[in-house]
Amino acid sequence: MSTTVTACPECEGRLRSDDSETVCASCGLVVAEDNIDHGPEWRSFADDDTNPERTGAPLTRSRHDRGLSTEIGRSTRLKGRKRRRMARLRRQHNRTKIGSKAERNQVYGFTEIRRLVSALGLSDHIRDRSCVLFESAQDEDLLRGRSLEGFAAATVYATCRTAEVSRTVDEVVGEARASKAELSAAYDALNRELGLPTGPIDPAEYLARFASDLDLPKELEGRARELVQRARDGGHVDGRNPAGVAAGCLYTAATEREYPLTQQAAADAADVTPVTLRATYHALSEDA
Amino acid sequence: MDIKDRREISREYFSRERLAEHHFRSFNAFLGRGMQEVVDEKATIETDIGDKEGEEPVYVELGDVRVVTPRVREADGSEELLYPQEARLRNITYAAPVFMEMAIIKGGEEEEERVVDQTETKIGRMPIMVGSDKCNIAGFTDEELIDIGEDPADPGGYFIVNGSERVLMTSEDLAPNKILAETDTKYGDTIEVAKTFSQRRGYRALVLVERTRDGLLEVSFPSVSGSINFVTLIRALGLESDEEIVHRVSEDPEIVKFMLENLEAAEVQTTEGAIEELGTRVASGQGKNYQLKRANYVIDRYLLPHLHEDGVEEEDVRINKAYYLCRMAEACFELALERRDADDKDHYANKRLKVSGDLMKDLFRTALNKLARDVKYQLERANMRNRQLSVSTVVRSDVLTERLEHPIATGNWVGGRSGVSQLVDRTDYMGVLSHLRRLRSPLSRSQPHFEARDLHATQWGRICPSETPEGPNCGLVKNFAQAMELSQNVEDEQGLKQELAAMGVSGIPGIESIDQQPADD
Repeated sequence: MSTTVTACPECEGRLRSDDSETVCASCGLVVAEDNIDHGPEWRSFADDDTNPERTGAPLTRSRHDRGLSTEIGRSTRLKGRKRRRMARLRRQHNRTKIGSKAERNQVYGFTEIRRLVSALGLSDHIRDRSCVLFESAQDEDLLRGRSLEGFAAATVYATCRTAEVSRTVDEVVGEARASKAELSAAYDALNRELGLPTGPIDPAEYLARFASDLDLPKELEGRARELVQRARDGGHVDGRNPAGVAAGCLYTAATEREYPLTQQAAADAADVTPVTLRATYHALSEDA
Repeated sequence: MDIKDRREISREYFSRERLAEHHFRSFNAFLGRGMQEVVDEKATIETDIGDKEGEEPVYVELGDVRVVTPRVREADGSEELLYPQEARLRNITYAAPVFMEMAIIKGGEEEEERVVDQTETKIGRMPIMVGSDKCNIAGFTDEELIDIGEDPADPGGYFIVNGSERVLMTSEDLAPNKILAETDTKYGDTIEVAKTFSQRRGYRALVLVERTRDGLLEVSFPSVSGSINFVTLIRALGLESDEEIVHRVSEDPEIVKFMLENLEAAEVQTTEGAIEELGTRVASGQGKNYQLKRANYVIDRYLLPHLHEDGVEEEDVRINKAYYLCRMAEACFELALERRDADDKDHYANKRLKVSGDLMKDLFRTALNKLARDVKYQLERANMRNRQLSVSTVVRSDVLTERLEHPIATGNWVGGRSGVSQLVDRTDYMGVLSHLRRLRSPLSRSQPHFEARDLHATQWGRICPSETPEGPNCGLVKNFAQAMELSQNVEDEQGLKQELAAMGVSGIPGIESIDQQPADD
């Protein structure tokens, strides 16, 4: 879960965990071992009379109650009065799940985050961290007067940026129920009050996605990656739209290899204008 | 046919394409038409929007579904084609995105209906059978397969979920929509029962016609507790006069005698009276109007659902249901008079096999229902908060994906069956082949079921007489014979019936028999 260490304490390398231990991928330090297995230790078979499982689903930060709440199930064996009583109990039980207005907002916010994450094809890790960020925004009382949808979208956007899997604002807004203004209002508040650890976006983060959207061969993407590095050395990245720089590098790589790619197509993939793209293209060609 | 030809044929049966062919055919049929059928059954998603005053109702119309080939979405957002070997090595699921046409439609009360938003949107990911039509290695030559790290000798026919290969066990069920007559004991007396598992669109209802010890017929079916008098039910279905009822059951004088006893004991004489009587049974203690409404609903919904068909009038369906019940009554009487033997449940004519495509169809149906419920919730939520309603913002593709993957990964299928998917036995090549051609009886292995475990003469040519495990599963787990041919459901049932009618079969519901020219001789 996201509450534990996320980087190697010795070398700050990436951690990799399997069923039994967590190991640093770069230096090999074993950070944690004998992890608790949160899953069920037995499974039931069709012929078993009783279910030997003692655990439910693992804890998750993406639910307002961390997935701990119980549910009153349904049975076809109950009939008549007893069945109606269970239906009433179920209704009351479901009401007790939400204690306050803030919690109700959280349920709605988390649902929206889960939907966004699934629509954008992001990992569960991003989902959990977005939810945690949403919770801290609530604790800081940032939501007052701003929209829930905007905050849900902003947390997803912010988490993507900090996790180095950036999505453009337009990509997030395209799937979100919030408008661009709502998202940026929420993001500004998050950034200001919580001090998000975000720097400028590296254009290289966009390359793989744009390249696959444009159906470009792998070599072109690799070449574009080199071009991004060159642009950065030449100082053409700072102060420019990173999506535009990424598209510019892809276009430059394509023209170098004489691969048929129009400026318009590359610009559309990055949601920028061809003018933005040309700025990078010209800067790169002048350096060369 | 000389020995050379025969050898040729038997070799053909051992070729790679043949070994898991039943899986491919079934799954391809599911991809080709089964999925669309499930969506068409559902057709719309209704919402509670519009219940309030001054609000226009909103519903969602479902259109065409489309499945592409398996792809993987990387963390950086790029999407690439996925091959089975990569799925195995990276412990990911070999699944393809599913797209569906959806339209949000608003209005109908005061304003005219108008489309708020209409697009094709991704609704989830469908695990794809290795080697099926939508598999990325379909049609590859041996060299191409080797190039992408695939074993050219691998038969396919399984799924890859989270990196593990899973086969869906073919299951052997009692044939639905058939009358089975048998004897039973009740309070120490032998009684005759005619049973039908009526099945339509994933809904299964057991209908029983019993001849009790005093010779009276009783029917029981879901939603009616206990049983209901046969004549009452027949009258409720619109078959009113004594004469008609008797002649619909049988012309046999002895059976007519039995039937007259039943008619004498009848509680009601008219259709209206019968429906009222049924109403007091299904909704006792409720208002009269509600009782009638409920009685009509129960007849149309829970009684013999398989007799419903598109394009057949509701009244015709009721009469057909009455005729069907008469056939069941006849079976009871014939059994009582020893004109026939009890039906053999182990006879292979009374068995149907559920192969991977049928199982996936069940799964997709429940997954789509779950998705529909989620869409309804999201729409209502978005509407309550005065957001613009759009297709892409109300569909959570995770819902469907999880509902499809989880049962395949764990084997816990919808309807409470477990062990439906199993890890492919890779002990050796023969193990794989045997596993793909295995079938399982849903009977409990902890009970004797001697007859079910026995080798039945009708298994000849279909089931291997010797390959079955020792121990508790003996005779319940079977394997296909090498030359077994599995026939499939027809695609166009109406077309088949039309064809039959053209060939002179009369009395098919919903088909006007083509006027027959008398054979001139």
